Amino acid sequence: MNKNKTENTLLKRDKWKYGVIIPVLTVVIFLIIWELMVRVGVIPQRYLPKPSELGNVFIDKLSNPRPEDSTLPSNILSSLQVSLSGFLVAVVLGIPLGWFIGWYKGINRFVRPIFEIIRPIPPIAWIPLTILLLGIGFRAKVFIIFFSAFVPCVINSYTGIKLTNITLINVAKTCGASYFQILTKVGIPSSLPMVFAGIRIALGASWASLVAAEMLAADSGLGFMIMMGRQFTRPDLIVLGMVVIGLIGALFAFILSKLEKKMVRWRSIK
Amino acid sequence: MEKIKKRFISEIFYSILSLSSIILLILGWMYLASKRPELFPSPQETWDRLILFLEKPIRRIPLYSHVLDSLRRVGIAVLLACGFGIVLGTALGWSRLVKSTFGTIFELIRPIPPIAWVPLLTIWFGIGEFPKVLLVFIGTFAIVVVNTAAGVKMVEPLSLAVGKIFQANEFQMLKEIVLPASLPAIFAGIRTALGVGWAIVLAAEMLGAVSGTGFLITKGMSIGDTALIFICMFIIGIIGALLSVLASFIERRICPWKTDR
Repeated sequence: MNKNKTENTLLKRDKWKYGVIIPVLTVVIFLIIWELMVRVGVIPQRYLPKPSELGNVFIDKLSNPRPEDSTLPSNILSSLQVSLSGFLVAVVLGIPLGWFIGWYKGINRFVRPIFEIIRPIPPIAWIPLTILLLGIGFRAKVFIIFFSAFVPCVINSYTGIKLTNITLINVAKTCGASYFQILTKVGIPSSLPMVFAGIRIALGASWASLVAAEMLAADSGLGFMIMMGRQFTRPDLIVLGMVVIGLIGALFAFILSKLEKKMVRWRSIK
Repeated sequence: MEKIKKRFISEIFYSILSLSSIILLILGWMYLASKRPELFPSPQETWDRLILFLEKPIRRIPLYSHVLDSLRRVGIAVLLACGFGIVLGTALGWSRLVKSTFGTIFELIRPIPPIAWVPLLTIWFGIGEFPKVLLVFIGTFAIVVVNTAAGVKMVEPLSLAVGKIFQANEFQMLKEIVLPASLPAIFAGIRTALGVGWAIVLAAEMLGAVSGTGFLITKGMSIGDTALIFICMFIIGIIGALLSVLASFIERRICPWKTDR
């Protein structure tokens, strides 16, 4: 009993040490090295801002629209608007499509060839055509984001429904369920973990291609901001943009994993 | 007999479905081309443009060497990413100290999409060959590391115990047990990395280059040559598919025991 207790506290201490203390120390040391490198002049300031500067830049950018004519909050808002609209359309269309392709053979044979032709083209390759067809407005960007999020949604919901346990299907059949009923009561629930994995991939992909779309063609947004940072040689602006982009991406991933845990609770019992 | 006949008929029906979808796609393309000829080139025009391009190369660089330029950038970057990524990934999965030091920094940088590095890299290194390879490296490195670390984490504890019983030292354990066991995961990572690398090199070339498929496609955009854009998209798609086939082939060769899901 006593031994168990000491083991437990040891484990806890280990967790504390490797989970909190060392990581925090590492980050602090990393920032200090970065700061020193720039201060001493190993890296010139026109190449990299000091980390201590970033806070000021952030506060300044909150209200200062220069140099690219929009403040940080409005940039974030515009990026979020574009990426979430494209992403949502892709989820709403892509996931049911994947289910149907996986469930009905006729749909599979009909949609598959087109899908397989389009699939290997990276979303970024759609950007030039999209710009020529739709300009550089809201619609064009949403279209590009849609493409990058659509493919993982379809593939994952297709794989998920294909992995449905055949025994479960047979049970439903024995109980007299119709093919469509089996889809809604057995197929779709059992595909949910894969679907969620797909949504996570889709969200990451849409956030990444959003940056690409905004860098190639936009007049606002975070990607536009860092591109302008390059044009005006403002590395502080670029790094700030990168940090914000990374933070929002990580936040998305976090929210989704929480949501996933809530929606597919039975999965935790492995 | 009746059953075989029935199956045969339904097979024909499904094949017709597949065929009709492709025909529909081409018909749709031709319809759009006739509706908006200034924006959509017809299949015939696209083909003519391809022939013209083969005869009169852009910037005196023939098509195949544009493709090879892009492929070379991806190849170098993915090779480097594998080299460094497998080492770091193994260390991350193996040692808690490495995970809580380097792993923390890695996790902080990873959420930044590789394309967001472009402005900073161009300020640092200009638009030469090196920043492009570096950009692809940044994108693919993270994938290899994550997959390798996951593979190392999933090694059977039993296998490790066997190693311990035979008094293997840490290096031997890594080389003889951990690496072979995590090979499938590593290869899954490399396959993804190839695909992602092919997409990133495109972005790198679109944002400033004088050769490569990404350069070609932006060239098509800036002179309004939609046929050229179409050709590029086809080529990019075909090469992407070929890369994935190649990766699965190598994967099968190196770890044949891996069962496909």
